[in-house]
Amino acid sequence: MSDTVIKKGSFSLGVRRDLAWPIGAIVSFLLPAMLVYVAFTAYPVLRTLFNSLHQVLPGRPNVFIGAENYIELFKDEFFWQAVKNTLVWACTAPLLEQFLAILLALALYAKIPGARFFRVVWFTPVLMSFVVVGIIWMWIFNYDWGAVNVILRELGLENWIRSWLGDPSTALPSLIFVTTWMWTGFNMVVLLAALHSLPSEVLEAAELDNCSWMKKLWFVMVPLIRPTILNLIVLSFVGKMKVFDLVWIMTKGGPLWSTETVSTYVYKRAFEWSTFDLGYPCSIASVWFIIVLAGVLLLTFLFRQRGKLEY
Amino acid sequence: MRSKSMWLKPALILFMAVFVFNAAPLKAETVITLWSHWADHDSKRNFVEGAARAFESANMGMKVKVTWYEKKALYAALKTALRAGQAPDIFYAEPNQIEYLENNMLYDLSKGLNWNNIEGWAKDGWTYKGGVYGFPLEAWTVELYYNKKILAELGFKLPPDNQFNQSEFLDVVKKARTAGITPLALGVGDRPYPGAFLTHEALLKSLGTEDYDKLLKGQLDWGDSRVREALEFVKAVIDAKALPSSFSTLKLGESHFYFHTKPGALMFLMGSFYPSRAFNPTDKGGQPPDFQLGIMQYPALEKGACNNCKTITIGGSYAVNAASKNPDAAVKFLNSLATPEMGNKWLETVLVQTGIKADPSRITGPYASYFQDLAAIDAPCIFYPDLPLGAMHGKAKETFIQVVNQAFPAGLLSVDQVIDKMNALR
Repeated sequence: MSDTVIKKGSFSLGVRRDLAWPIGAIVSFLLPAMLVYVAFTAYPVLRTLFNSLHQVLPGRPNVFIGAENYIELFKDEFFWQAVKNTLVWACTAPLLEQFLAILLALALYAKIPGARFFRVVWFTPVLMSFVVVGIIWMWIFNYDWGAVNVILRELGLENWIRSWLGDPSTALPSLIFVTTWMWTGFNMVVLLAALHSLPSEVLEAAELDNCSWMKKLWFVMVPLIRPTILNLIVLSFVGKMKVFDLVWIMTKGGPLWSTETVSTYVYKRAFEWSTFDLGYPCSIASVWFIIVLAGVLLLTFLFRQRGKLEY
Repeated sequence: MRSKSMWLKPALILFMAVFVFNAAPLKAETVITLWSHWADHDSKRNFVEGAARAFESANMGMKVKVTWYEKKALYAALKTALRAGQAPDIFYAEPNQIEYLENNMLYDLSKGLNWNNIEGWAKDGWTYKGGVYGFPLEAWTVELYYNKKILAELGFKLPPDNQFNQSEFLDVVKKARTAGITPLALGVGDRPYPGAFLTHEALLKSLGTEDYDKLLKGQLDWGDSRVREALEFVKAVIDAKALPSSFSTLKLGESHFYFHTKPGALMFLMGSFYPSRAFNPTDKGGQPPDFQLGIMQYPALEKGACNNCKTITIGGSYAVNAASKNPDAAVKFLNSLATPEMGNKWLETVLVQTGIKADPSRITGPYASYFQDLAAIDAPCIFYPDLPLGAMHGKAKETFIQVVNQAFPAGLLSVDQVIDKMNALR
């Protein structure tokens, strides 16, 4: 490590600076980003935790209530229903999306006729906002004139006709289907990029070894794009754990809480439950933050372990 | 040096003069800020904006700045603004927003507002712990509208008191359904209350106002035999397929269109704000010009304690922010609205009832007869002054919305399940 004595004119200032640790430069580069991070991420997170332990009412000092909100939360059947729905969504939708996305990506990779057209068509839903998607699918699921029931009528499947969003047994699957429709295109594009970046020598070697297309896919291509698939699963999982917009547009958590998610429940408690107290919604948000974080860490850990074993 | 000071003095005087002349009007002008729902209700916007401009003309130096929102966006914005001390002087509120009252956020209007011009029940609706906190501009009753032509085609005639009994009503429903006509248009796609009309009007008639109030406040068992009888009547109506199959997703505006235009329904259980949409031109979702609109009473229950009871509710109101810097000016503006002339103007132009004392018999124009019919239908009624949502809070309210507003009318729950779910919250 070399120290430099900075001199001004003929005087040494006596300041010894370590050029390998330029603290001034580090601070000046990091400070703006740190300020933004502290103001818009760290502080809100800490404030949420603080609020969850207090009764927070406007115009009054915050009252410390300890774990009261958390105790109430664990007895709150609406919350647990919301947790159940959200977990069902977060555990099924990512797998469905990946399965369909791989099929679509392979179809494009194999250059099916009209591949360019289909690439655009399949990707388009990602470009739409949840509001637009929600409205479109509400029309499609409409009992009287929605496309789904019209098609079922045309096919003579009258028994299958139902109020898709009004029936507790079909409302959540319908919403999961909509998010799958919306996000499969995004996953497809990422997987297609991963397929195109596969080393050609490996694929050619497999062909020279007389590998069938299916075997090449299963034993060569899928293992090579596995890290991409796993990352997409984690991203999708996190997205589904926070899902709000689509539910709010299409069902508002009903019927009978069958589509209530944790995010919609937090919003209802914060803005629709005739109270100004932010403590309880903050306790839900805090618990859910920890659960989502734990879920992501667990997935990452599991995928890493498996990767090591295979390697 | 001398020449410099010679110019300096006039320049200073000129600067002072400009400053004083410009500053004076700014200082004198009082701006009253108002945040209101009804962004997409032209008639209500025009009414309020017109009143604001008239108030400005009559009160020099006062300005009313109105910002329009949709209700949900307004509520979310207000909750944040009130916490931050950034809320306007006046804002839209409804009496069921108990959180404003519990947190002392509303200015007491009991002395400032001219209550002589306000209906007593409307004042009562905004009374809380001895104070009165809202100016009840909009009010509505729950009415059973029907298509006169279809009813006649089905071979039914209303009794002289405009009220079928329980079994007659069920016959009407069944015959309409057999004829391929939806008996009762109703939808809960975007509102937490219309689906509950069917049930809470039966409960009100079965129990009478006093016990009904106890039921809503959790002081009466939902397993009470009178409650059960009312629920069983409603269940019979539901099981006769009275409601549209799209009930769960049908939105409020769509349900209006469903009733009067396509596919058309025999009856429509709706707030008396029905005309604010239906009396628009047909290209704006209004009913066809030749539509024969009638109003009947909700059916009388066999053992009903009060078969002429009906729900009335205060809708959109204006409240003054307790932290307003201009409370007197804000109250003065509300007083400019609280006159019988403005009440009549509201009826004539907005076509919805109001908490301001108005005289429907003096209303002129194309819809005068509608208001006279409505006044005649409501004349014998005893009113319960709130929707259940106004009397309930927290989990009880959420459960009522999911169970009584949506799942029960949709045919997803039995009477016993409704009783169990509602009793679980007592």
